[in-house]
Amino acid sequence: MKKVVIFGYTKSGKEIAKLLKDGDFELEIIDEDPMQVADANIDGYFARHTTLDDDKIFEDIGIGDNVDALFCTSNNDSLNLFVTLSARNIDKNLKILTEIKKMEDEKKMILAGANRTISPHSVGAAKAYRMINKPRVSRVLDIFSKIENKISIIELEVRKGSLYDGKNFKNINLSSSNDLILLGLLDIKRSNEFIFFSRGVSHKIRPGDTMVVLGSKKNLKKFKIEVDTIK
Amino acid sequence: MLARLIISFAYFLDSNKIYKKVKGFVYDLLDNPRSSMKSYFDVLIIGLVLLTVAIFIYDISNHLPYQFGLIEDFAVSVFIFEWIGRFWTSANIRLLIIRYHKKMLELDQEPKLSKILKIIIKQKIRYILSPMAIIDLLAILPVYRPFRVLRIFLIFRLFKFFRYTKSLNSFFKVLSDKKFEFEFLFILGVFTVFLSSTIMYTFEGVGNNPHINSYMDAIYWSIITISTVGYGDITPVTMMGKIVTAFLVGGGFMILVLATSIVTNALSQKIDIIKENKLLAEAHKLTRLIVIIGFGRMGQILAEDLHKDQKRFIVVDINKENIAKAGHQGYLHMQADASNYAIINSLVFENNVEKVIVLTENDALNLSILLTIKAQEKNLDVIVRANSYNNIKKFKIAKADHVIFPYETVAEVAVEYIGNSVKFDAIDNILIQESDFTIDGIDILEGSSFIGSCIDDLGLDDLNITTIAILKNGNIRNFIFNPDHDEYEFEANDTLIVVGKVEYINKIGNEIRRQFA
Repeated sequence: MKKVVIFGYTKSGKEIAKLLKDGDFELEIIDEDPMQVADANIDGYFARHTTLDDDKIFEDIGIGDNVDALFCTSNNDSLNLFVTLSARNIDKNLKILTEIKKMEDEKKMILAGANRTISPHSVGAAKAYRMINKPRVSRVLDIFSKIENKISIIELEVRKGSLYDGKNFKNINLSSSNDLILLGLLDIKRSNEFIFFSRGVSHKIRPGDTMVVLGSKKNLKKFKIEVDTIK
Repeated sequence: MLARLIISFAYFLDSNKIYKKVKGFVYDLLDNPRSSMKSYFDVLIIGLVLLTVAIFIYDISNHLPYQFGLIEDFAVSVFIFEWIGRFWTSANIRLLIIRYHKKMLELDQEPKLSKILKIIIKQKIRYILSPMAIIDLLAILPVYRPFRVLRIFLIFRLFKFFRYTKSLNSFFKVLSDKKFEFEFLFILGVFTVFLSSTIMYTFEGVGNNPHINSYMDAIYWSIITISTVGYGDITPVTMMGKIVTAFLVGGGFMILVLATSIVTNALSQKIDIIKENKLLAEAHKLTRLIVIIGFGRMGQILAEDLHKDQKRFIVVDINKENIAKAGHQGYLHMQADASNYAIINSLVFENNVEKVIVLTENDALNLSILLTIKAQEKNLDVIVRANSYNNIKKFKIAKADHVIFPYETVAEVAVEYIGNSVKFDAIDNILIQESDFTIDGIDILEGSSFIGSCIDDLGLDDLNITTIAILKNGNIRNFIFNPDHDEYEFEANDTLIVVGKVEYINKIGNEIRRQFA
């Protein structure tokens, strides 16, 4: 089983833990503040206290062994940096996502070895900006997030040789065959641009593209198997 | 009888459209700070004042041809029109009379003429006695021949500038805040002048000093000395006079220093407020203003984005450091406590505000601001930041249009990163990028001819618009995903959620709305 470690049971850490609770992950929380550790324990997570003065703690947790992803969400920037750097030192392939407070810190964290950084402030600001700029789309997305348990959204990477590799938009009709709706493609590797699906557009799916699909969880699961099937 | 006549005349005026239109026009021209006409009129007045004063000064030693008198006449007629117009629009007497009449009707009493006249006179007298109206009048009066002596008052026309220069007004307002200090200073000055001139007169006025022939000379000497000007035309000659002078020079110096420090102090205390008032006045002129309350990190990033987009917004924060940052960036800003009703009132309700975004880190404060706004303006769009998950619900109960809980989105992005199924909030980033395509809702309005027809009839397929879902009767709970194209029949108030090209989606929406045109 994959293991996920959250460093810092803060507001963000708490929300991540909440989302991962029901997933197929072994979750472990570490924090240098005993109060936060106690909080995490009360909320029903396995949490341990650490002062981080010894690299041994990382081995104890399982970094470099069975830990798949590390989230550095402590409120202390320099501690986040320290943990990111130390963990990267041990495991080159670990997925590390680090929270930053200031956008200026992004480069620093990436240099330290984080795969990705995220700032709650810019996330919140971007959201407010969208609500101001595109109120109608925001409204629709609002509706979707309210009916979230009925339909779900999924990103599927199309691998080389998949049934969908090389298929043209014109020849795809998921709505009748799978009761799913293909919103579009995310061209992560090239431009990170999102291409909306429309039969009016001639666009060929290439390996590495990510399909963004909407539908019930059951249908999505079936479809995932279909996409992952190699010819 | 006369009372009834006045009242019915008030009602007549109130129902007369032309009267209201003319009065509105005059108000726009003279007093409405939001009207564009006013600024042209202001420029005209300032030009006339400068011109007539210049003519007046030149005319003292040179004789100008009579044509210049015409300019004076024209200027005076404009000034008279201005004064009368302001006198007219200064209060809506008809409304007051109608209100009085209503009250009397409720009390079942006869309206009294004396009371009505009192209403009229009180309002108009108040205008006539206002400082600005007096200045305006002074600019006109010297033209009247019997008042020719008052020609020098023409120069008072320059005071008319006060009406147009806000900064000067606020400067005097600042000084008036220090009334007590100035009063003290004035009394001190008068006392010192009186004392020293009396002593001087006693010792030197009896023939010792050829320059001091009257008490007035002594007072003149005292004032010239105390102000540290010291012309030297009158100098003390006796020993006692010299001692008094020495004390007077010291005292005068003290008074001068005191006066300077009072003014500087008052200015430095109030300069921020003056600047802020200026900014507020600027905000007042804008339409579709966005108000950002809380200029922490999130507010700063948002402001940056909006600034790039050339949106008009004003930033409010109680923290001096934060607001200084807004000032450096050149944003409209105001340092104020947004939980204060008066602030919200002058900022939100009195301006043309499109949206309010509340982004402070204090949920209690956010909630109080939200409720203050929603209590008065239900339909104003308010976006609120929640700092704790438990408070999201409270904001929704308080009718926030959107609640932003950034930490949840952070978590969603994080979880997406390790490859789980994705939540909508995490994906909206990509869906909202600039593109010809969009996700939108199409409302099947009640009474539309499309009710009873199906998706294919609407021509969505031809325009390559994909229908994701239908919210039956606009209800989120009644939700059909991926509806059947030729089986589902539209009902009134259904909302279709569709993906497609923006222009095509708008086209369909317009087609539905056109039926009601």
